[in-house]
Amino acid sequence: MKKLVCVSLVSLSLFSQLALAATQTIQAKVNGMVCAFCAQGIEKKIRSLSQTKEVYVNLKQRIVAVELKEGQTLSENTVKDLIKDAGYDVTAIEVTDHPVAHIKAEIEAKQGAK
Amino acid sequence: MPYLKFNDAWLFMAMLISPFATAAPMGFSESFMVMGDFNNNWRELNMNYATTPRDAFGIGATYMRADDKSKSRTLEEFTYTRLIHRWNLPHAQANFWFQGGVGALQGENRRLGENDRFDKVMVTPGVQFDYETTRLYFQAAHRLYRASDINHDFTSVRAGFSFYETDYDKTQPWFILEARNMNGLSENVEVTPMLRLINKNYFVEAGVNNSREPRFNFMYIF
Repeated sequence: MKKLVCVSLVSLSLFSQLALAATQTIQAKVNGMVCAFCAQGIEKKIRSLSQTKEVYVNLKQRIVAVELKEGQTLSENTVKDLIKDAGYDVTAIEVTDHPVAHIKAEIEAKQGAK
Repeated sequence: MPYLKFNDAWLFMAMLISPFATAAPMGFSESFMVMGDFNNNWRELNMNYATTPRDAFGIGATYMRADDKSKSRTLEEFTYTRLIHRWNLPHAQANFWFQGGVGALQGENRRLGENDRFDKVMVTPGVQFDYETTRLYFQAAHRLYRASDINHDFTSVRAGFSFYETDYDKTQPWFILEARNMNGLSENVEVTPMLRLINKNYFVEAGVNNSREPRFNFMYIF
């Protein structure tokens, strides 16, 4: 019985790690993004991509995060170009395995702490 | 002519502050933008399509009337908007725009015992500067409205602040104060305090000017 519990726990842990690793989010730091009405172009252009699962925009932290659908890939340059096309400049870009919900919660916790 | 002095002064000010400009008269690449500006003496409706992140072509209709109602003008024009330069700063954006048009002007001057009606070709080149953060806003614009023997140049300056910061998907309220003048139509400076609401989907402004007349503006991108 003990063995079964251990195997189940290890399997669950491995499975959740795999599920987490399957999440891919491209996070960009953007200059000039000060107005929601003007920045809507970024969200609309990124949402129109078939690979996009979720988009998060935070004006105060200058962040645009694009969570990809499972198994989908998207180059950082594509995201950069879309943001540039919408009229803004990307100053930094990275790929993380955190979902958008996690990034949003982290940023809101930081903002709430200030 | 006091209004000429006013125009010259604001044009000079606009030149001084030209390195800092914003408030987009066009949307993002491959989007349509509809803009409206309405009060008793100035009613304007424009729509443009952004062919690139910096260029938009459109159509517009403007109705202008003198304060004493002695003159009225209706203009239908083809417009072109160009983002000449944008400064994307870490916590601010500044823009320098060209806006221009060419179209048909129908005018009427009412005098005692006679009404003078005319049709002319009007050209409307102008520039706009704007500067914006998540809490502050500034804009200066000067646009020529010229036809043969007609000069209704338009000058405006606006500044404002947001009451508080909001998340991207929430509505943000702003206080905006605008001063503007239409040459040859009004010798007064129209001053309008407005409440502006910005959401990621819409932009509306409403206020009452110093002649106690209502004013309403909107922008919509799709």
